[in-house]
Order: sequence, then C-alpha cells, then structure tokens
Amino acid sequence: MNDRFTAIASEARERWEAARAGGREQINLCLDTSSLARGGAETLAALRDAISAKGLNADVTTTGSWGFCWLEPTLSVRSAAGTRTVLYHSVTPDRVEEFVQTVLVEAGELPELALGVVEGAPSDQIAPLEDHPYMRGQIRRLMANCGQIDPENIDHALANGAYEGFVQALDMEAEAIIELMLESGLGGRGGGGFPAGRKWDFLRNATADPRYLVCNADEGDPGAWVNRILMEGDPHLIIEGMLISALATHAVEGYIYIRHEYPLAIERMNIAVEQARERGLLGEDILGSGKTFDLVVFTGAGSYVCGEETGLINSIDGYRGMPRIRPPFPAQAGLWNLPTNVNNVETYANAPLVLRHGAEGWSSVSTDEAKGTKMFTISGAVNQAGCIEIPFGLSVRDLLETYGGGTPGGVALKGYQPGGPLSGVLPAEEADLPLTLGPYRERGMFLGSGGIVFFDETTSVVDLCTYFLGFAEDESCGRCTTCFQGTQRAVEILRRIANGGGRETDLGKLEDLIQTMIWSNCLHGQFAPTTVKLALRYFREEFEILIREKRDPTRSLPGMITYEITSPGDPALAEAAAICPTEAIVDEGARHGIVDELCIRCGACAEVAPNAVTVRDRFV
Amino acid sequence: MAAEPTTRELRDLVAEYEFERGHLLPALIEIQERYGYVSREAMEVLARQMRTTPALVYGAVSFYADFRTEPPPEREIAWCSGPACRLRGGDRIREALQYTLGIPLDGQSEDGAYGLRLGQCNGTCSEAPQVWLDGEVVGHLTVAKAVAIARDVRGEGDA
Ligand SMILES: Cc1cc2nc3c(=O)[nH]c(=O)nc-3n(C[C@H](O)[C@H](O)[C@H](O)COP(=O)(O)O)c2cc1C
Ligand code: FES
Repeated sequence: MNDRFTAIASEARERWEAARAGGREQINLCLDTSSLARGGAETLAALRDAISAKGLNADVTTTGSWGFCWLEPTLSVRSAAGTRTVLYHSVTPDRVEEFVQTVLVEAGELPELALGVVEGAPSDQIAPLEDHPYMRGQIRRLMANCGQIDPENIDHALANGAYEGFVQALDMEAEAIIELMLESGLGGRGGGGFPAGRKWDFLRNATADPRYLVCNADEGDPGAWVNRILMEGDPHLIIEGMLISALATHAVEGYIYIRHEYPLAIERMNIAVEQARERGLLGEDILGSGKTFDLVVFTGAGSYVCGEETGLINSIDGYRGMPRIRPPFPAQAGLWNLPTNVNNVETYANAPLVLRHGAEGWSSVSTDEAKGTKMFTISGAVNQAGCIEIPFGLSVRDLLETYGGGTPGGVALKGYQPGGPLSGVLPAEEADLPLTLGPYRERGMFLGSGGIVFFDETTSVVDLCTYFLGFAEDESCGRCTTCFQGTQRAVEILRRIANGGGRETDLGKLEDLIQTMIWSNCLHGQFAPTTVKLALRYFREEFEILIREKRDPTRSLPGMITYEITSPGDPALAEAAAICPTEAIVDEGARHGIVDELCIRCGACAEVAPNAVTVRDRFV
Repeated sequence: MAAEPTTRELRDLVAEYEFERGHLLPALIEIQERYGYVSREAMEVLARQMRTTPALVYGAVSFYADFRTEPPPEREIAWCSGPACRLRGGDRIREALQYTLGIPLDGQSEDGAYGLRLGQCNGTCSEAPQVWLDGEVVGHLTVAKAVAIARDVRGEGDA
C-alpha cells in the first residue's frame, strides 16, 4: 500500500465521519440535471431557508442521482443518531414546508413519499430500499456512490473507496493490468463492445510518445444519459479509471470530451480534476510514484459525429469534427497524430471496479457472454423514465415492466430502439431478447450505449424512420456522398410516403440506398439506415398500407389526417378556436368549423376540446 | 453580454490560446460565452492568434451547432428534438411554435426579440415533451401550452 495514499484517504475518511457524526440530521438532496429540471434548485433553497428560519439542527448536502429520474427531486434523511436513513421522492418546492415540519421538526416520517430505508431497520410503513421494485435486481457498482456522496467533495469519494483500485495498480506492471482487464472480459460501453484490455494493449505497444487518453463523454445518442449520471454523481470513479489506463498504457495526458449540453457534468468533472490534482492524485509524481498523468476537461460544441472517436480527435485538434479515414487507428495516430486510446466514460469507470473486485469477482455478476454490469436509461412510452445498473442479459420486456413501469395508459408496446439513432428498431415480438451484444449483431444492428427508447401502438414506424434518418442527415459530416446524399434521399422518400405520395417502387429505392450507404467511411453513414432496414423487415406492412391504401393505421402522420369538428355546439370549441395558432377554426354562427387549408395538424384544438374534434383519415 | 466587442478586447480575450494545444474550440466557446456569438471580426482575430486562416476558423464555427454568428435573441425557446419528446407529440409542438412565432427552427425575429432553436436531448426525458424557455426546462407540455408560451414570448396573450 502507498503510504501517502493511506494518509490522504484516512484524513478524508476522518473528515467524512466527523461531518456525519455531528449529532445533526443529514439531508442528501439529489441535484443532477433531471432534478434541476424538476425544481431541485428551488427545493434546495427552500430547505435551507426553512432550516435556518426554524433554527434546525440539520445539514443539507447535494449529491448525484439514484436513478429515480421521474421522481426527482429525491432526498435522503439520516437521523441525528446516525442509525437510520430514509430516501424520499418528489420533494418538490411546494412540499418542502410540510416535509420540514413532519420529518425535521416533529422527527416523524412521510411513508407516502418514501422510497425505502437506506440504512437502519425497516418499519411497517417503510420497507428497505433494496426491496423497492425499482431497486430489486439492480447491482450498483458503478452507481454505488451516486446519490450517496457529494460529487464536488473528494473527501466523500475517498471515504468510499475512490482511488484504491489505482493504488493497487501502482504496484503492478503495465502488462499485468492489461492481463487483468482481458481476464475480466471488460468490453467497451460506447456501443462497440471491443475488449478494453486489447485496446489498451495497442497503445501500450505504440512506438511514439507522448501518448494520450481520451474519455468519450460526448453521449450523443438522444435518449441516453448514463454517462451524465456517472459524471454528475461520481466523477472520481472516471478519473481513477483513466489513471489505471494511463498506468497500463504509459499515457501522460488525458482529455475528457463532454458535450456542451451537459454543463453540470462539465462543472463537476472540472471540480473533481482540480481536487484530485490538489491531493496529488493527478499531475507529476503522483503519490510519490514517479508517474505523471494529468487531465483536461474539454467541452464539445454540438455535433453528433464528434462522438465517433476519430471525429472527436479532430475536434480536440481544432478541426471540423469529421471522422477520419482509418487506418491509421488512434493507437497509431490520434491526438496530434500521436498514439491515443479512446474509451467511453463507463468503460473507464469499470476499471477501478475490476481492480477492487478482481477479474473473476467483477465479471461473475453476469452469466452472459458480456461481462459485468451495464447502466441503461429508459425513456419514451414508459411510465418511469430513469437510469438503472443491471448485469447484462435481462430481457427487454422485463426491463420495461420492472424498471420502466410498463407503457402508459395501457397502450400496447409496438417496439423499441436498443441504443441510439443508428442502432435500429425492433418490434414488440422481439422484446424477449436479452440485453447483450450477440442478438442485436445477428439482426444487423447493435445494442448501443445504453439509452433504450420504447414506442407504443400510437407511433408510426414511418415517422420514426423519417425522424432517425433526418437526425443522421442533420449530423452527417459531409465527407461521403453515400452518407450525406444517402440520408437526404432517404428522408425525401420517407417524407413522400408519410404524406401519402409514396410509390410502389419506393421500398426498393430505400433498399438500394441501404446497400450504398454501407460504403460510407465511418459507422455514421454505414448505420444511418439501420432503422429503415429493420423497419422494412419487421413493419413492412405499415409502409405498404401507406403506399397502397393511402392510410396511416396510427392516424398520427400529419400528412395523412384531417381534423374535423364533430360536435359543433361544444362550448370547449371557443377555447379551441382561441388556441389554434393559425386561426383555422372559424365560428360559423355559433357552430364551429375547421378550414383545412389553414390547419397545420398540431392538434391543439383536440387537446382542449377532445369531445368535439375528431381525427380522420385524409384520403379514405 | 456586450454587443460589439472591440478588436483590442477580442485580442486580449484570446491572447493565451494556441492552436497546437487544442485551443480552437475552447477559444470559440469563450468568445461566445462573453459576447453571445462569434462575429466575423472575432473569427479574424482568432485566426491571427492561432496562426491560421479565417477560413479554417469559420470551418469549425459552421461545423458545430452551438456556435452563433449573429447576436442571440433576447428570449429564446429551445425545442427538444429528442426521441422521448418526439414520441409524445414533440413534432406537433414544433409546428405550433413555428407558426405562433412566425419563424423557422434556428431562426429569430427581425428585431432580435425572440428566437426558436433546435435543442438536443440532455436526458431529462422524464419531462417529455419539453422545451427550454430561456434555458429552463418546461416539461410535460401540451401543444396548447406551447402555443401559450410562444404567445407570451412574442409579448402577446396572457400565458
Ligand atoms: C456517429 C457516432 C457517434 C458516436 N458517439 C459516441 C458517443 O457519444 N459516446 C461514445 O462513447 N462512443 C460513441 N461512438 C463510438 C466511438 O466511436 C468509440 O467506439 C467509443 O468511444 C469507444 O469506446 P469504448 O470502446 O469504450 O466503447 C460513436 C460512434 C459513431 C459512429
Ligand atoms: S427526448 Fe426530450 S429530453 Fe430526452
């Protein structure tokens, strides 16, 4: 063990324990981006005000997320005696007063808002948190500290095991670290699943210096926020992972490339890097080991292809973020044409856990071919949009039912997208597939980075195709004709179909496009048509009905419907007429009608006058 | 947010940046944070500092969605283009916002009073469908609520 580290860690632990042993109630309020969107900052201010106004003996600390995103703001209360901690949800600003009164002033509990008992004995009214349906089956290793520590205070991280894996690795040869990673079976979490150990070995064997590490925190897949949860909840785990990788590869500098849409993650990573540097965990002669490694937090500026590793490298280098032509690979010529290794946030974050649990202990949580745990975010047609960590291998349906809380309003599931706009879509009949790499590869798609999006029977698959192809078109870097023109052409054809102008030959045209887009330089162009490819395989009938019968079975495509007033005397129509942005609803002497040429199919009228406005097929 | 930076101010702002050290994006971000946008002159000043051409700087500016080349509007609605929002009527919300504001996506009113921007999902999908009104999430929208917000931003109606 490293003496310097032992001293640093024990001082940190003393401070952490002293703060908790103060005979004061400890409130840990989750303040991540989701909580902020749901009033977390106002809850924090209201809590602090109430505590000081009433002169209460309580401290408020802010933490990352437990993953109950749809129930934010969540907060835990640890009793002054330190014997019991209860986690609560939905402590919105308007609930703070009641909360403070009941929980802090009267020392009671609020079972109706409780998620569970985190530590201490459960009661009749509040069960252990681990028995909560959303927590059951989760194995929290990456997320172990999320929600429980202040991510802006390195003492909290150090008191909870941070950097112990790195210190272990300090005593190991580079080869041995790589051997351990290979043995664990840790695969890349950014979408490809490539063995991390092998990638590190490429860099270790590089012939030029200096060499670099890049942490890909661009998380461009809309609907994925697993990397955000880690950066906002436990940034030191990522730094520690990069330090371990640096030991294994002899890299001296690292970049953490974070998308600009994540300002809080950027702030917290910066604070963590600064604090790690202050404690001698980054910089020169780390912990007296003679090793040098430092980190730069780099902010992106809005580009999906910058998540592609060579686009990202160009972006840091100061050029347009266009993916490069490979070879050379980053391990040969990356940042400034020097050897570079790129991994996803979650890949690096697993490295300390492999050291802590051992290769076998780390991988044995999963009986699947893919080892370890994986974080997933769940969104779309679900009742519970949140973030979880589970071993690979759970079925998609179980994930939807157990963690996503099923589809809203009892509408049947139609399908899902496993991970990102390039990953493809599958129908509900394929929801029994396990969440792992193989089955998706076999279907010509991929599992992706963890953002699973569900859609129900109200959604048109043609609309989904138009949307994802449109996204790929917007984000194409413009290098390959097959990509930028291919996506453009595909969107034109899809729009035509969606507007009732589809032709018999259109599906063949789309299939041709899929074939030529494969020739694109990078995976963006190659995988851009995956959604269409799978939709044509699994939902072909929907395209055919649109083309042949000029009918949209979901009655959701704007080009395929009209809005009609079917109860002209309904009093709600006055409000509908007032809200209509194009003044398409006219008052024909106490009876209302819709001028179809003005109607933009936004549906505002149907929202405010649901009993008076009916959606009809436009062409049949 | 000063409106028209002077050349001297711009030069001072970017004086520490070096192209060889990966500073082009950080410099552009700093310029935009300070002035709200990256002007033509800023690109020229930065090119000189980086010992490169304005064309290369412009190439980067135009590549990234986040950079603006005009002063930002006073008020802005950013519309979430992500999947969870789309699945809950996001596209109809976009349509209604464009008509109510009378501007296209990524456009702004002639007087610069308000604008509409394409936003990317940042994982607050539990709030879908959503927009950001002057940077703050407004979630669980309906089209009707979006129209009311847009009218309010235009200075009409009583949202
Ligand atoms: C268009 C495109 C976008 C990508 N976006 C991301 C991203 O946002 N985050 C990420 O980690 N990987 C992304 N990747 C994958 C990276 O190129 C790369 O494979 C990954 O960062 C490697 O890390 P891993 O081995 O740890 O998974 C993207 C790939 C493509 C083609
Ligand atoms: S899709 Fe709109 S916030 Fe994620």
